[in-house]
Amino acid sequence: MALPELVRRRPPTTPPESGKAAPPAPVPTRKIGWRVRLKRDRSLLLMVTPAILLLAVFAYVPMLGNVIAWQQYSPYTGFLHSPYVGWVNFERVFTNPLFVTAVENTLLITAFQLVFFFPIPILLALLLNSVVTPRIRTTIQSIVYLPHFFSWVLVVTLFQQIFGGAGLINQTLRDHGLGNGFDMMTNPDTFLVLITMQSVWKDAGWGIIIFLAALSTVPPEQYEAAAVDGANRWRRMWHISLPALRPVIILLLILRLGDALTVGFEQLILQRGAVGADVAEVIDTYVYYQGVVYGDWSFAAAAGLVKGVVSLALVLGANKLAHVFGESGVYKRA
Amino acid sequence: MNATPTFGRLGDHAVDRRRFLGLIATGAAVVGIPGLLTSCTTAPAPSSSAGAAAAGDVIPKYIPITYIDPDYPSVNGSVPGFESIPAELVQSVTSVPGSGLTITAMTPLWGTIPPTKGNKYYEAVNEMLGSDIQFQITDGNVYGDKLATVLASAKDVPDWVCVPTWNLPPRFGSEIVENVFQDLTPFLAGDKVTPYPNLANISSDAWKFCVFNGKLYGLPFPGEVITDAIFYRRDVLEGLGITPDVKNGQDLIDLAVELTGGSVWGAEDLWNSAAIIHSVPPKWKLDGDTLVHRVETDEYRAALEWNAALFASGAVHPDAVADQSGEAKARFQSGKSLIANDGVGGWHEALRDNLAANPSYWQQPFDPFEAGGGTPVLWKGNPANIFSFIKKTDDEAKITELLAIANVLAAPYGTTEYDTINNGVEGVHYTRGGDGLPVPTELAATELQPTYIFLVDPPISESHVQYPGYVKAASEWKANAAQYATDPLFYAQQIVEPQQYASIGQPFVDLEKDISRGRKGMDDLDEAVETWKSSGGEELRAFYQDILDQQS
Repeated sequence: MALPELVRRRPPTTPPESGKAAPPAPVPTRKIGWRVRLKRDRSLLLMVTPAILLLAVFAYVPMLGNVIAWQQYSPYTGFLHSPYVGWVNFERVFTNPLFVTAVENTLLITAFQLVFFFPIPILLALLLNSVVTPRIRTTIQSIVYLPHFFSWVLVVTLFQQIFGGAGLINQTLRDHGLGNGFDMMTNPDTFLVLITMQSVWKDAGWGIIIFLAALSTVPPEQYEAAAVDGANRWRRMWHISLPALRPVIILLLILRLGDALTVGFEQLILQRGAVGADVAEVIDTYVYYQGVVYGDWSFAAAAGLVKGVVSLALVLGANKLAHVFGESGVYKRA
Repeated sequence: MNATPTFGRLGDHAVDRRRFLGLIATGAAVVGIPGLLTSCTTAPAPSSSAGAAAAGDVIPKYIPITYIDPDYPSVNGSVPGFESIPAELVQSVTSVPGSGLTITAMTPLWGTIPPTKGNKYYEAVNEMLGSDIQFQITDGNVYGDKLATVLASAKDVPDWVCVPTWNLPPRFGSEIVENVFQDLTPFLAGDKVTPYPNLANISSDAWKFCVFNGKLYGLPFPGEVITDAIFYRRDVLEGLGITPDVKNGQDLIDLAVELTGGSVWGAEDLWNSAAIIHSVPPKWKLDGDTLVHRVETDEYRAALEWNAALFASGAVHPDAVADQSGEAKARFQSGKSLIANDGVGGWHEALRDNLAANPSYWQQPFDPFEAGGGTPVLWKGNPANIFSFIKKTDDEAKITELLAIANVLAAPYGTTEYDTINNGVEGVHYTRGGDGLPVPTELAATELQPTYIFLVDPPISESHVQYPGYVKAASEWKANAAQYATDPLFYAQQIVEPQQYASIGQPFVDLEKDISRGRKGMDDLDEAVETWKSSGGEELRAFYQDILDQQS
């Protein structure tokens, strides 16, 4: 949660002519030898080593495994001995109609949830922020956080028990002679709405944490001053709360775009049979079936790699766009 | 042939569990799931066809032994039934086979994993074996995932590994089996099996199924001839005053509709039943001289249409429509749905799980019928649905010791060994009731979980005498059903398919669900079959045609 804080407090870009006022740190380092710097920063470096090691061992070294995307790989021959086949696997990925469907579904779900899921934690945070009594606020917070800790199996089962054809609502309707009701759990046409509802119920509460943290840094004096100047609640929110949230919103939006091709694997695989692969197959589930289930590891690796590259491009693009609009985004070159 | 419903998925745990629960105690057969997963290779396949053809010379000689005569003898290969426990048990192996070796074994378990420390059941069986088998037990529903991981790294493989046919990972036949597991041909082929009389008592078909690429690798867990049945809740139907008289497919749908009302639905997803009553071949059938794949057959089409009609009738439980198949058994047993497909072994398990709370509980399979009312054709299940493999080693003494231990574990009904393995120790895990039947103690519930049975099993027998009326009902039903049992093409042959065909059947798994639920129609099936043909189906046909030609 520290990240937005840092971003927010980052000093405005220093104009080049005010050289003497520039922060002293970056300039002199150029002149100090690396030995001296090593000595000076050794405790800091020591502290950061485990994290770098972890990152290297569990993120960067495994990335080398992507080489199997250009091979005809089998774990029993190993990637040292598996034959190289060039771009064949990638060609297969792009010409496969099932992959195309999976990409379409993924993008559709992302776009839908960007509109109908992403803003909800922001609204919730603004709402909670206006609740004055701390006890009520923490109670509500705890309640909306809770579903985040449920596993997807549980969430899907709960929804089935409530909204399913034999669920609470339908049973009540039937008991009162109101026909056979509806079965939204098995309707492919409303699947998008269903999974978004599930995501909102499960994760919207969790999502407000970051926004609340950002809001808590706004000095109460600002609100008071605005109130004295005659600003009503709406204007205070528009001119004080929302601008305070803006960097965080942009940051999360960029990160979300990076995840655009990743939509709830577990959630979808659990409900795939209920609505059919035509609407529920996404890139991740497709890669799982091809790679793990059918043992076509190279093909799956190629599909996964395509996804990774596109995601990276999305993050970089969105970050650039944020700079254009004068925001810091995820990172900025010094 | 490896597996029956062809296009199952390894990831489909729900299916695995439901079907497996049917299997466990008798070792009743489950029709395996991922038929196409069998194996594979990308490099030139080690002439995969060889396996089946050469099986004859490498399998152990069949020397049947009978310790006690069954009350319900086997009819057409049906499972023999025993109504009572013999007063005098025979000790089939007189010397302790083990030398005190510690053996690691990896097995699945569909139940609560028992404590391994201080477990009196393990102590008793290990003492009988003379060696210490240390189990690494994994929940059966996720066993395939663990297996695939363990097998990818040969040094982590335990001494003895259970492999259910539906968990066979890709490339098993072509790459794993020869690199990781011991070739048992030199130890068991032909007369060499004589030192192990209980292993020689296992049928040739079951052994034949353990042959990969012309060599004997596995130890079998023999399966049932008829693996699946369509069950109904007879106790509930009797309460409603309904005596089912189901002679054809329409009767079954009508009955399901009649039973639906309030918060009770007539049926679960009966896709497997649809395949049974329409005699959908497990993989291939011969039409004249031409091989026709399951998905191309009229039977398959008719089964899909029938199942779609069942779903359209509204008689299928909504949770089953939502494909929550993992809870199918729970719904059926609690009376929320009244007709369900299960492995035949699920019958006595249901009695075990329900009789205590509901003494009138009874589920009964429908007598076999054909969808159109004609004579049913029931395809035989795999002769073994689970096998175990011994890790490759140069230590011959260790291999022979493991085989001697397997010989004890394969002791059939009526022996002291069988009794200890299945019932534990008298006075600790069970007490004798007034009628001489074993009554399990509380300790049995925690300690006595079936684990040794996943290493090797005697020929299957029906001996669940503790459930009144069960052995009679089950033996009679099985004997009746066995008269319709028919060998599918490539029966009992372990065929290693090339890897590139592994996923061409994938669309059909989804299609079966889509068509059943009315989301897609028969046009989509036609389209999928065309895609199947062009994406490798024709090559697959040629591959099997070659094997067929070599055999004739």
